[in-house]
Amino acid sequence: MERLATAWAIFQGLLLEALPFLLIGVAIASLARWIAPGGGWLRRLPHHPVLGPLTGAALGFALPACECGNVPVARRLLAGGAPLGTALGFLFAAPVLNPIVLASTWAAFPNQPWLLAARPGGALLLSLLLASVLRLLPEAHLLEPALLEERRLNQPLAEVGLLERRSGLVGAATPTAPAPPPRLPLQDVLQHGSREFLDLAALLVLGCAIAATVQTLLPRSWLLAVGGAPTLSVLSLMLLAVVVSVCSSVDAFLALGFAAQVTPGALLAFLVLGPVVDLKLLGLFRVLFQPRAIALTAAAASVAVLVLGQWVNLLLL
Amino acid sequence: MRSSLLALWGLVLLVSSLSGRLDLLLRGIFHPLVGLSGAVLLVLAALQLPAELGAGRRPPTPKSWWITGLVALLVLVIAPNPSFSDLAANRPAELGEEAELSFLLPPAQRSLTDWVRLLRSQPDPSLYAGDPVRISGFVWPQPGEAPQLARLLVRCCLADATPVGLPVRWPAGQVPQADQWLAVQGRMAVEEHNGQSRSVVVAQRLTPIARPSRPLEP
Repeated sequence: MERLATAWAIFQGLLLEALPFLLIGVAIASLARWIAPGGGWLRRLPHHPVLGPLTGAALGFALPACECGNVPVARRLLAGGAPLGTALGFLFAAPVLNPIVLASTWAAFPNQPWLLAARPGGALLLSLLLASVLRLLPEAHLLEPALLEERRLNQPLAEVGLLERRSGLVGAATPTAPAPPPRLPLQDVLQHGSREFLDLAALLVLGCAIAATVQTLLPRSWLLAVGGAPTLSVLSLMLLAVVVSVCSSVDAFLALGFAAQVTPGALLAFLVLGPVVDLKLLGLFRVLFQPRAIALTAAAASVAVLVLGQWVNLLLL
Repeated sequence: MRSSLLALWGLVLLVSSLSGRLDLLLRGIFHPLVGLSGAVLLVLAALQLPAELGAGRRPPTPKSWWITGLVALLVLVIAPNPSFSDLAANRPAELGEEAELSFLLPPAQRSLTDWVRLLRSQPDPSLYAGDPVRISGFVWPQPGEAPQLARLLVRCCLADATPVGLPVRWPAGQVPQADQWLAVQGRMAVEEHNGQSRSVVVAQRLTPIARPSRPLEP
């Protein structure tokens, strides 16, 4: 019974901390929808396999929020027809490449300058890799069906076959310069944003429940018991990042708590993997990806971060 | 239904913020953000309610919304009541601070966390032998030895709570129960532990206290 009460308290802590960030993300996505209803600028973002994710990552500076807030904005990017690589680059790198996270990392580790460069650098590399891997899947196998349908409507016909769209006109004359769609009434934008918030809140509840249960049942001391062993320490800190599920704007302070006991590679692995894959996020990702793509993201990110951690240990130990 | 659910979540955030519940769950820096988000959700609900009521045919409410509505109600009704010793037992005791203190309070004014930080930065137990100690915390059982008096440090939310504890030599026949909150008065002493000297609080007076309204420390 005591365990249940503790899990319930951890669940509430995670949920109440994440909901405001989710609201901020939905607000930014709704604002973008209202200001630029057609999302024409989204389609002009670079399609290049490297420049696209880099541009997406740079957009993170416009969203000073953690990974929960990023999901609705990434969904808006994808639904608006933004190039896949750009949206994925934003989704995976922006939780680290934003002013608040960089400032908190600096505040937590002012005496470890290598970490201040390695964390954003690692996040950028990871986002490039994940964007490249996920692009191998056809969009129909990658994106969640409702999102895919919305995206098809916003993509130019040159990119999407008529049979892939569920609506539109066949045989109509193509206007030379299509007029931008009118700005939506504010009430419609509010309605859409509210629906999105409630959909995401449902997934967040699921993710927080899983994270709280696993945290209560799995002693954290087990994960940190192997602190000095190079490979095991990286693996254990990766697992810890996935289980703890704290938001990226404060995870550096948490890492500070065990920085002295673990290898540098393990520390970096914790700070790079947590914002991309954790139990809380796996629920939220369901509004973006199909289950197979979520599994691929988790697997690819884990392998890449393990290799990154090993390299860092090789260089610094 | 949409407006009602938004209002319910807004209420959850606002009530949590105003009732002091957040003191038990989150670091203080997040409290205004939670309260503000609750107010924003309530305003959003109020803005949309007239249009929703006026609409003729409403779309069906997704099942997931019903479930989360139920969860929101449960959060509103069932206040968190974690076992601090259970939380502490699952986590290693690490302070993670730099081994330097910017200032030092007189011994009798130091909190438990101040003492732990001091002992980490200057770990020579003989420096503190005989110093008066007045601290409070919860009882944290230790495998194979006497329970310690402890506090939880939180950097984000309860999910990352990390325990810090001080060894205590309890008065004969007065070993307290796990999770009990106590104010302890006594003196610092030196004892041998696993072949090494360490500081220990020799408790002279134990006073059971209620859990503080702000039990977590930054």
